[in-house]
Amino acid sequence: MIGFRLSAQQPPEPERVNDTVVKRFDHVYEVDPALMQEHVRQHEFPAWETKRIVDGRWDHLDWMHAHWADRVLSGEELLAESAQPDQLDDEGVRPE
Amino acid sequence: MTATMVTDPVINELVQICGTDHVFADRSARVNRARVPAPFPVHRWADLIPDVVVLPTSPEQIAEVVKLANRHRIPVVPRAGGTGLTDGAVPLRHGILVDVKLMNEILEIDLEDRAVTVQPGINMLKLNEELRPHGVIYPDDPASYPCSLVGGRIGTSGWSLIGGRYGHTRDLVISFELVLPTGELIRVGDGGGRKVRKSSSGYQLKHLFMGHQGTLGIVTEATLELVPRPETEFAAFFSYPDYETAWRSTAALARSGLATLAGVVLFDEWKLAYLRRDDEAYIPQPDSVRCVVATAMYGTTDEVRPAAKRLLRIGQESGGNYLGDEISQGDWASRHDRYATPLHGRLRDGQVVPMSWHCEDASINWTALPQVRREWHDIVAQLADRYPIFDDWGMFAYTNGAFKPWGDYLTEIDVGIWEQELDDESWAAWVDAKRDIAAVALAHGGSISACHGSCREGEVDLVPQEMGGGFEVMKKVKRALDPNNIMNPGKYLLDQAYEGGDRL
Repeated sequence: MIGFRLSAQQPPEPERVNDTVVKRFDHVYEVDPALMQEHVRQHEFPAWETKRIVDGRWDHLDWMHAHWADRVLSGEELLAESAQPDQLDDEGVRPE
Repeated sequence: MTATMVTDPVINELVQICGTDHVFADRSARVNRARVPAPFPVHRWADLIPDVVVLPTSPEQIAEVVKLANRHRIPVVPRAGGTGLTDGAVPLRHGILVDVKLMNEILEIDLEDRAVTVQPGINMLKLNEELRPHGVIYPDDPASYPCSLVGGRIGTSGWSLIGGRYGHTRDLVISFELVLPTGELIRVGDGGGRKVRKSSSGYQLKHLFMGHQGTLGIVTEATLELVPRPETEFAAFFSYPDYETAWRSTAALARSGLATLAGVVLFDEWKLAYLRRDDEAYIPQPDSVRCVVATAMYGTTDEVRPAAKRLLRIGQESGGNYLGDEISQGDWASRHDRYATPLHGRLRDGQVVPMSWHCEDASINWTALPQVRREWHDIVAQLADRYPIFDDWGMFAYTNGAFKPWGDYLTEIDVGIWEQELDDESWAAWVDAKRDIAAVALAHGGSISACHGSCREGEVDLVPQEMGGGFEVMKKVKRALDPNNIMNPGKYLLDQAYEGGDRL
């Protein structure tokens, strides 16, 4: 069992992204705390809680994809195939 | 004319009909069934609370409740998920609120004739979880997909995000059973067959009893379309440097003729500015990304794969830049569930305030989209200048046609509202703005609403203008079917049907 770890509790210092947004973790954005002073106060989150919420969001989106269809096609892969028209696709068919 | 007359003897009768456990007169049960997610005059909440709530468990119980309401001239308001963005489920005249959530059973799954029969309180997401082992889905996909219910979808005649491929609620509901305002139980569809999709027999009553916002009865059972569960999903989001290019690209994509194309969505510059403020997918986008067009396809892999390549080519050739898999797939998945998004808005000084989301919607032809967009943003800007509790969150235009995603668009402007600060003056200004927004839609040959309904304060004033002579027919139908005006009175200006004695 892993016990108390400071890094799991203490979020890193925010890094400014633009005039209104900061981030503490990659791809996790927060409203600039200076804009949450008068009417809505920003919650203080332990680092693990932020990561849990973000992971939960991705789980939810994955679930929604699986709910609607068996597989999701990648546009990036299709564009790469189209850029190399001589290759066969994964069903062995020559792309159009 | 109806008035509130729910007395203890009436409640006793309701208990005899529905059972003790299914009749609620306590304050919390009633207060929580007053509003819907659309902006609500919270400063007048007490004016809109039902007198009693019933949760029936059978069509016969609903029929008996409606007959009781006629005997005592008490308003009856049907409510399913309560997720509508007009006020169909809001009890304007108090009375008996009939909440159908306990009627949430699947009655039959017919894989031979491809139909599922359900009660009105079932949710589409839960229904599709049950259908999944059978390899089929019921593809009605509103932004409230995880929380709206089949009965409300019929009462609203809802719009589906993937309607370009599969149709909207009116296309997906084959037939349904409802209790008329006088208590009779009937079934309507195309002709009389429960699972018949096309008939030329008799009047086409299915459409009459869809989208009436609870003014013509209460749905008790519905038979729905089943389609093969898609093997493959493909979503592609494109960015554009300006609205003009994005608008033209939207048309090129929508007119592609690709049968698996489920929908095309145009995000305007205001929407991008709003998303860039608070949405993790858009915050990192460069300033050159001014507009976005989203597309999605569903079907067999054999269909979707080549079609997706062509769609990518059309998007790029019409000026779009593919935004990548992460945003395309992630944002598309989130579009099935917009009600779960926590919302806040900003004051002019940038300070964050709690705001609720509202969108005014209309059906607008493609050619009119640019001008409607300009006029709608002007209306909201003038409103927000006077009352900073309103915040323009931008516009979407979604393909609106069933099976043929071109021509007209569900066009919506999202407006954040700091509801707690509403008072009579700001509410009146909001209602005026809504009326102005509806007037713009009509002036450009559109319809006031593509998916929400148009019976809220403000826009409802223009429904007679939109419907023309049809509004006189609406009044005659209302009075003929609901002689005592007990079924959701006060909606759609239909009280006018009861003015002037026997003239109608």
